[in-house]
Amino acid sequence: MSLIIKHCRSNGITSSFNLRIWRLNSTSMDVAAKKGEEEEEFRVLDILKKRDKVQKKVARRNDVQPDRADRMAVDQNWGNVWPGPKTFHPSSVPLPIRQGYVPKGQAPPGKKANAELMKIPNFLHLTPPVVKAQCEAIKQYCTEWPKLLNSEEAIEKHYPVEVITSDYCHASPSIRNPLARIVTLRVKLATLNLDKHARDKFLRLVGDRYDEKTDLVTITADRCPARKQNLDYVDYLLTACYHESLNVEEWEKDKTEDDMEYYDWDKNASKKSLVQWYLRMKNENVDLKDEQFIEYDISQIPNAESYKNAVSSLMNDGENESTVNNYAKEVRALLGLPEKLVV
Amino acid sequence: MFSRNWRVLSRAYSQAVTFRTSEISPQHQNDKQIGLFYTLKQDTCKELFSNGGLPKSFMKQTKTFTETTLMIRQPALDLINCIKSTDFNKPVIRYVLYGEKGCGKSLTMAHMIHYAYEDGYLIVHVPWVSEWLRRVPRHKEMSNSQTREGLVDLPLDAAAWLIHFKSQNQTLLKSSDLKISKEYVWSKREKTESGAPLSELVEHGIARIKYACDVIDALISEIKILSNNKQCKTFVAIDGFNSFFYPLTRLNTPTKKKVKPDEVTLTKSFLELTKNDWNNGIILLSADQLAVPDENQDSYFPRYLLRKQGFEYLDPFVPIEVGRYSDKEFLSCASYYRDRLWLRGPPEIETELKFTSACNPFKFMEQCAPL
Repeated sequence: MSLIIKHCRSNGITSSFNLRIWRLNSTSMDVAAKKGEEEEEFRVLDILKKRDKVQKKVARRNDVQPDRADRMAVDQNWGNVWPGPKTFHPSSVPLPIRQGYVPKGQAPPGKKANAELMKIPNFLHLTPPVVKAQCEAIKQYCTEWPKLLNSEEAIEKHYPVEVITSDYCHASPSIRNPLARIVTLRVKLATLNLDKHARDKFLRLVGDRYDEKTDLVTITADRCPARKQNLDYVDYLLTACYHESLNVEEWEKDKTEDDMEYYDWDKNASKKSLVQWYLRMKNENVDLKDEQFIEYDISQIPNAESYKNAVSSLMNDGENESTVNNYAKEVRALLGLPEKLVV
Repeated sequence: MFSRNWRVLSRAYSQAVTFRTSEISPQHQNDKQIGLFYTLKQDTCKELFSNGGLPKSFMKQTKTFTETTLMIRQPALDLINCIKSTDFNKPVIRYVLYGEKGCGKSLTMAHMIHYAYEDGYLIVHVPWVSEWLRRVPRHKEMSNSQTREGLVDLPLDAAAWLIHFKSQNQTLLKSSDLKISKEYVWSKREKTESGAPLSELVEHGIARIKYACDVIDALISEIKILSNNKQCKTFVAIDGFNSFFYPLTRLNTPTKKKVKPDEVTLTKSFLELTKNDWNNGIILLSADQLAVPDENQDSYFPRYLLRKQGFEYLDPFVPIEVGRYSDKEFLSCASYYRDRLWLRGPPEIETELKFTSACNPFKFMEQCAPL
């Protein structure tokens, strides 16, 4: 090890006599001393290479039975091998199944010691021959299908109420599924044979459970824990709504024009304004009461009947291009204006 | 320099091109001129629309184009056709313009006002009802009505409208002998004698803003009487009429109470005018989506916009649809814009614009702006 110390003046000139070099004691002297000791002994070359004897391991063959899957007969009864739902077992299934993550350039892992195959539920107990055999077995408990119920229409006619439930099948410790409790009841409104008032009331009671397009009332119950209870509950709801809609309460007589479910032109302001307009046109200053307006015979007003239909369709069928155009056409006819200019 | 001269020259020449018509009087316009533009005279335009009546964006455009031109369109011709065959001894007929946003309801109304002006009608024109009921500037002048209990006055708006009325009917008010039928007493010292000219009533409203709303009320009943007596024929045009039937306005009384439209005196007066209990007049209204808040703009049809109350109020009325441009109108408009250098570029651009604007006049105008 050496050390160089350079002395510098601030004017930038380095003088040669100021440069000193020390050789440090610790380095060069030690190296020389070690060399002297090692020079006396050489390594010995072992030509014959005598080695210690290593005991050889004897491979013990253990007597392993061949896989059960390999010994299965081709025409065996599978239902006996796999009678019920259970976790996958590689030795019982004589199929070259593979499942799992596929490394690049390799095949997916085989069936033995494969956790992926054991995780997923399997339906090996539900092969078509087994299902067929089981159906055959329970056939003795079934009754014959009624001959008259031979079409969808016939079924719908005799059994108008439709109950929809769902069953769930899984391979988990519990066979129960909370969703199985939900019960949906569907019935065509027409099959209830309600009159005008009852129908309106029934629709107001069921609200958005009624579908206008299909005429179906759908009642769903899921508030009770068991399916049986929900089933009873939907039955109760249908019965209650039905009988309630047949009742006529005292307060229902107070129904005003705003509560109407459809637009009745004769009872509306439109008729009143038409009659008023007509009277003004004839310069008759008659003050009519509301009842008189309702009873006023519009057949003496030219074009009033088609105008009435136009307003009613505008109100009842909703406003769209055709109803508005129809209304415009009828009003022009009523007021004696020329028809719309077509360019 | 040369190109500029050339441009000026071609501008002058453009009077004789295919998209213009020289028929500037709406009475004589017929369906052969559909889609063509006619030019309003500068002073007529000033008289009719200087206090509102044309949409803001259109006003800007007229300034850019240095002329006010209107396209002759089917709804206006249809209306003129209807008016020509109207029996004026029968109760007034109400027409309701409807159509999508930006299709030209207000401009059709402007066209009809020009028609009424040329035909010597007394014009009662409300440029935009929402200006009163829905637009709330920082200092909206509002006071409780002195004469009618529980109602609010909008004196500044009323006075502004009286000025508009005065400017639109200045020739009629100056020359004709429209007299007031009864005496109106405003206060201890102020009154308007019966037999005074109608213009005195208007002047009083403008001078004494406090009474502007009551003056409008009086004016409207006088106009009805005058029309019934065949002393004048009246053309009523109200844009954004459906605002009157929207359940709430944006106005608040000083006590933070929400004001309903029928609690405003102006509403009362103009609803009174749009009843069909008078004759010798025409009522043209418009139902506009822009006159109601965004959440109630689902449909542009009149029954929806007027609501049940408004529909029952106006029924039977004649709905008149103002639609998008037809092919012919679109081409005419495009060549007009080209003439005004509002639209430039290759001719294919027009097919593209037709597609992107969907032939909606307002959108077309907007999309041409940066081109």
